[in-house]
Amino acid sequence: MTEVRFYGHRPPGIEEPHLPGRLIVIEGTDGVGRSTQVALLKEWLEDRGYAVLDTGLVRSELAGPGIKRAKQGHTLDPITLNLFYATDFWDRLERQIVPALRAGMVALVDRYIFSLIARASVRGVSREWMEQLYGFALVPDRTIYLDVDVEHLLPRVLTRGFDFWESGLDFLGEQDVFRSFEIYQAELLAEFLRLAEDHGFEVVDARSSIAGVFDVLRGHVQDAVRGMEIDRLGQYREAAADVVRVTESEAPSA
Amino acid sequence: MNSFDREDLPGKLFIVEGIDGSGKTTQLDLVHKWLVGEGYLVVSSDWNSSPIVKGTTKRGKKRRLLSPMSFSLIHAADFASRIHDRILPALQAGAIVLADRYVYTAFARDVVRGVHLEWLRRVYSFAPKPTVAFYFDVPLDEAIRRIMQGRPNLKFYEAGLDMGLSDDPEESFRTYQGLIKSAYDVVVDEFGLVRMDATQNLIRQQQQMRQLLEPHLDGVMRLDGQSLSDALVKAGLRGRYVERQEVGSINASRGFL
Repeated sequence: MTEVRFYGHRPPGIEEPHLPGRLIVIEGTDGVGRSTQVALLKEWLEDRGYAVLDTGLVRSELAGPGIKRAKQGHTLDPITLNLFYATDFWDRLERQIVPALRAGMVALVDRYIFSLIARASVRGVSREWMEQLYGFALVPDRTIYLDVDVEHLLPRVLTRGFDFWESGLDFLGEQDVFRSFEIYQAELLAEFLRLAEDHGFEVVDARSSIAGVFDVLRGHVQDAVRGMEIDRLGQYREAAADVVRVTESEAPSA
Repeated sequence: MNSFDREDLPGKLFIVEGIDGSGKTTQLDLVHKWLVGEGYLVVSSDWNSSPIVKGTTKRGKKRRLLSPMSFSLIHAADFASRIHDRILPALQAGAIVLADRYVYTAFARDVVRGVHLEWLRRVYSFAPKPTVAFYFDVPLDEAIRRIMQGRPNLKFYEAGLDMGLSDDPEESFRTYQGLIKSAYDVVVDEFGLVRMDATQNLIRQQQQMRQLLEPHLDGVMRLDGQSLSDALVKAGLRGRYVERQEVGSINASRGFL
């Protein structure tokens, strides 16, 4: 059973002390192979009988359209943009992830608050402010970081082309896409490693083959879902203990 | 929270706070007219008005997608956008900014919905501190009486119906406003807002405000020779072809037909 903990103060809307599901986060830069690994993990978990919610930084019903509109014009200052992202993130946490955890599912989350924090801090937004803002985020049962260097990242990105944002072209002021990509990703990776250290991520070397990375990942996930089968029984026990507690406290004090 | 030193801002920021029906907007309008009449460059910014964010807020309200936290976050985004696009540049330029509601509105409303005050404080740490902040203190019954006289059609979030206080909009509104008022009491003391007795005579309130603001107007930017009415009077014209601007006169040329 997942103990419900937050990085900061508990936000209104998530009241329970425990949730029967598991929250597993896969973090890493663009092109590192996160979505491939998430797909493999999902299949593997489902084969073993676990109900899985896989979700990523897709847009929420609430803030999705607004962010899209705002980004098209590149009109947003970093603080507003990050508050917009935070709204979007919270909406998904509250309406997708937490309900899945309540239902006893494994939530496999492709990028969590750390991608948002890393991207913002390389763009000059205070990391401290970002971490405080995301104080409302649930601490995952496991955060697995796929670690890579620019050298190994390049071949994977080259095949699909450079993206405007993933190359830092929005703020670095470099004309040269390749150069901009190198600088941006190096800074981003350094930021991720700082976060990994501060928050105790499981760091997985993502430079090897897909099968090799999956093998290591699977070990971590297996660890994280351990005991889920018996959680239901545990729930009944806890409920029974609550009844006893209530009955005792209601008993007239002599 | 950026590397921006707020102490260096040459402009002045005056804000008003209070529950609905406290009369804060009426008083701020009078201050606005007074300052413009004195020739100051005045910029105003209202709550919930960012062109970039307000569409999302509207969507959330209409579809009732807003929970306490998303309500809080989307209002913070709106506020940040207005600080960046409107308020900060005006303060940097040395103008006077008037804001009808400021961070304290978010503090009071969101705390009532269960959001932690300390978190709100940090999230809003990018906001410049007001030069003078007024809180219009009014008894709940009086405020409700003023609002209900207009027989308003209370909206879902405005009436606090999302909080499940009551199914009856009027009843819910009343309870909600009462909770906000208590939350304001804490915020007003903690952040040192100037408490105005909003049951007083309106003219008396306005006099008090002006007295408190006057000392802060020294050396603030004025619009010399930009007054459209001066030009018209001097030339003996009626100004049939110019659209008169309510706020200052700096954009008068834009109004030519």
